[in-house]
Amino acid sequence: MPPDRRLLQVARVEAVGAYTLLVLRNDGGDVGEPGQFFMLQADPEPSDAYLPRALSAAWADAGEIAFLLDVRGAGTAALAGAAQVSVLGPLGHGFELRGGPAILVGGGIGAAILPWLVRDLPGPVTTVLGFREQRHAVCAALIDADATVVLEPTYVTEPLARLLPADATVYACGPDPMLHAVAALCAEHAVPCLLAMEAAMACGFGACYGCAVEIDGEWKRLCVEGPVLDAGRVLAGGHDE
Amino acid sequence: MNSLATRFCGIDLAHPVLNGSGTLDALAAGTLGVSAFVTKTVTLNPRAGNPPQRIAETPQGMVNSIGLANPGLERFCDEHLPRLADLGVPLIVSVGGWSRDEYAVAVRRIGAHPAVAALELNVSCPNVDTGCISIGTDPAETRALLERCRAETDRPLLAKLSPSVADVSAVALAAAEGGAAGLVLINTVRGMAIDRDTLQPLLGGGGGGLSGPAVKPVALHAIFHCRAATGLPIAGVGGVACAQDCLEFASAGANVVALGTALFRNPGLVEEIVAELPGLLEQHGVSTFDDVVGRAHHHQGKALLEVDANHS
Repeated sequence: MPPDRRLLQVARVEAVGAYTLLVLRNDGGDVGEPGQFFMLQADPEPSDAYLPRALSAAWADAGEIAFLLDVRGAGTAALAGAAQVSVLGPLGHGFELRGGPAILVGGGIGAAILPWLVRDLPGPVTTVLGFREQRHAVCAALIDADATVVLEPTYVTEPLARLLPADATVYACGPDPMLHAVAALCAEHAVPCLLAMEAAMACGFGACYGCAVEIDGEWKRLCVEGPVLDAGRVLAGGHDE
Repeated sequence: MNSLATRFCGIDLAHPVLNGSGTLDALAAGTLGVSAFVTKTVTLNPRAGNPPQRIAETPQGMVNSIGLANPGLERFCDEHLPRLADLGVPLIVSVGGWSRDEYAVAVRRIGAHPAVAALELNVSCPNVDTGCISIGTDPAETRALLERCRAETDRPLLAKLSPSVADVSAVALAAAEGGAAGLVLINTVRGMAIDRDTLQPLLGGGGGGLSGPAVKPVALHAIFHCRAATGLPIAGVGGVACAQDCLEFASAGANVVALGTALFRNPGLVEEIVAELPGLLEQHGVSTFDDVVGRAHHHQGKALLEVDANHS
């Protein structure tokens, strides 16, 4: 059963360069673990965005749940302007927080989910981030003051390649091509790698079959299997239909 | 008295709110309070479904291109059906296929399971090129399919029809003549979405099926005319999003309603509607949901009145 939807008040909204930080006042409800996700919809529901938005939190605890938004259309614009937000979650499977050193890799708005990992990972953390332009990179300050940041046309795989091989676990979130490149690089060096993936979702709880991505060589629902997956399950490939 | 209890095609239901086929995986998400569970369409062979991206938001709705992803008849019967039988609500299994033989094999096997209350013949999926919808666009093919499947099971057969045809009531009539016990109206309407940045189709399958409040008037029209043409019991689907919608669908001729897209944004919606409906019935001065069924036909002339009198 999906959890009940909750109506949470907006505590504050801040511009973070090109992105927008939305902080909700939590009512003490379960926030799950980093990498899980929530279905968010502005309340009252906007007339021009029918479906909720699937977002993983930037950080969360009993007091607040924070999301970094890339305001692109009516749904995210409504969230950025809302006084209260309907929240369904946490949903899906998040990151397994492993001991030992960690390398965090973030690309674009995918970097939004890394602050929580930096806070909760038990071992030493090295962070590499890639953004389109400087205005997107402003959010790096929320993640890790010591992060290595690259801007296009340099890709995040460049600083990552310099860190590998390493006795570490790689945690990555970003656009699909970046994730596949990171997964391939980690596989090459036999470094364990966890990917937080994204897909268009309607429901978030396994009902609609809309969020299928290639997992274990088949199209499977990302909301059920992920959104965090071991990179090996994504690299398996070979789907021939 | 329970104002919501009803009987649909011989199935006793605690209330008139179901799920549309393909909009709920009860094994993953539970039944969410529906009075009968309608499965995703099962086909003879397993189907991986269509390539991503499979869904896109559109004004007051969404388009989907799932493509009948399902485990196939064998695995459905061996692994899913025994678990679905334990859900505690009547089970309606949706069946699709590419030939009469394929439907017949599935109907025989699934219809023999004691937990199956009824079968829905999906002759209207917009996300496959052949079979299925090409049967449902042709009255003669639809009638022949119903006749063939009628011989394979004693369970009620429901025909799920597409509004993307010239005259859906002609197809409905053909289904009735072939032995359908009821109709499910409507499947999604063929549609498409274009990415605003790349100006390319958003869905991996190109086109898809439109659902959500955007299609509600299409559904009401199809229900109204198919009821007038056939008098068959109808499960109304297509943009139902609140208790008031349920009354409007009933008035057009739906005996029960099914939720789909609205469940995606609020999985608690069935329970909310079931809680609100009795009060809404009272406001309309009627004592049961059944009393609302077919009301919109009362002022539409003698022919419609006769159909209504015979079947409501």
